[in-house]
Amino acid sequence: MRPRLLVLACLLLAAPYGAAWAEDLVSGISQDTIQITSNYTGTDIVVFGAIERPQSVQGRNIVVVVRGPDHAITVRRRNRIAGVWINNDAARFEGMPAYYYLASTEPVARIAPQDALARYGIGLQNLKPSAIGSHHDPEPFRQAGIRHLQREALYVESPGSIDFLSETLFRTRVPVPASVTRGQYNVEVYLFRNGEVVSAQSTPFFVDATGLERRLFNMAHNAPLYYGLACVAMAMMLGWISAVLFRRPD
Amino acid sequence: MEIYLPVAEMSVNWLVLVALGIGVGFLSGLFGVGGGFLMTPLLVFTGIPSTVAVATTLSHITASSMSGALAQWRRRAIDFSMAGVMLVGGVFGTMFGVWLFALMRRQGQMDLIVSLTYVILLGIIGFIMMRESLATLKAYRSGIPVSHHVVNRGWILGLPFKMRFRQSRLYISVIPPIGIGFVVGTLSAIMGIGGGFIIVPAMIYLLRMPTRMVMGTSLVQIIAVTSFTTVLQATHNFSVDIVLAGLLVSGGVVGAQLGVRAGAKLRGEQLRFLLALLVLTVWAGMAWQLVAPPADIYSLAEAAP
Repeated sequence: MRPRLLVLACLLLAAPYGAAWAEDLVSGISQDTIQITSNYTGTDIVVFGAIERPQSVQGRNIVVVVRGPDHAITVRRRNRIAGVWINNDAARFEGMPAYYYLASTEPVARIAPQDALARYGIGLQNLKPSAIGSHHDPEPFRQAGIRHLQREALYVESPGSIDFLSETLFRTRVPVPASVTRGQYNVEVYLFRNGEVVSAQSTPFFVDATGLERRLFNMAHNAPLYYGLACVAMAMMLGWISAVLFRRPD
Repeated sequence: MEIYLPVAEMSVNWLVLVALGIGVGFLSGLFGVGGGFLMTPLLVFTGIPSTVAVATTLSHITASSMSGALAQWRRRAIDFSMAGVMLVGGVFGTMFGVWLFALMRRQGQMDLIVSLTYVILLGIIGFIMMRESLATLKAYRSGIPVSHHVVNRGWILGLPFKMRFRQSRLYISVIPPIGIGFVVGTLSAIMGIGGGFIIVPAMIYLLRMPTRMVMGTSLVQIIAVTSFTTVLQATHNFSVDIVLAGLLVSGGVVGAQLGVRAGAKLRGEQLRFLLALLVLTVWAGMAWQLVAPPADIYSLAEAAP
């Protein structure tokens, strides 16, 4: 994670001092916070941008990457032992994004060579955990973990999903599904020219719960005893009310 | 129709959950069981994380049992002294269960132990109940009275610390009820169940309580154990979702009332037969999952932070 950020930071710092004729990128997002309310079922965030001092369309590519907060995932493998399927292998990957969405003008493998993609962590295959806990070759576990998250629509690669409104103005819609984690998300926009990143921009947005949802979540973590007692009280009271309401005249 | 669950951190269709509550609540009221052994797997099936499912199901059981217990109370079908004695074992069992839970999670075999416990328990209980209820039903049809002393209770009658349970018309040692309470408390913490499917047969076959008293008394015991476990889960694992609990409970209490009414129309033997059938169905499903080749041998588990 860290080397990737470092490369990105250097690039961002270096950009203004680069040659005046260089292509540059300006981008923005439609909203910088997403509020989770009781009827939240997922939403879209629009990432848009413009290319300054454009050169030819040939050899130019845009990649938009949205990363959720880092967390650890554990992938387990079952084996058949005495006729029963038992989880007997596991690998733990730390520093994997909770959400990863990639939009690009072309499949990423066609945009840049593998080492460039790996440096920026572009593409699901280039998601490298910061630490691995495993007794075996972790690669099949990592593949399986990514496959599962793809199935849950938390890891998405969506090539060809960037719309150009003009030769220099582009836009893409990034879904933020209902099952996302709260926290800081980063939108990274890369401008590729002949397989090299020539400009990049990173913009954060936040996903957070509001109102009642937030209060309940906070209470569950800050005052768990009262929260638990409240749950029990609610359950008992509803049970009691129903017994009274449904009372049979006997 | 979608509603966001703040602790599970996901959106779900609330109608599905209320319907689930009604269905499982109906069975709770009918048989005097909490329904946790149905609810927990069903919630996991709808995509709710298993930690949240296990912890939140307990609230549903509390409410359904409360509703059912009040109905039984009006029929004077609760033996409070028996419930109280069992609860002594229940509190210690719950604490032991929470300790065991942490130990098994460290060993990384939580899922397997839970599945195996389900399969072994449901299998034994389901088959015993089925055999006996079939024998009773057959005898009922042919008109020959059947001997109820299938289980050898000689050792239970010989135990010390005898106590009189007036409402159940029993004079037995307090050791078996405390032991049953302890076992059920332990299982409640590990499996997210109230333990009705163990208490009910244990009361009928081991303690020989009158079937009429069994339903209400087991419900009181379940209310106490699930309340205690809910608080322990909320303080230890932060895995109780109050919105999910509210939805399940709203459906559950209505279902439980309907179940109690339906139960009053059926005979004890028929109830036992149907409960045995239900237990065996769940048993078969869980046993199949254990031996059937999984669609994907890899599974994803969110690591605890």
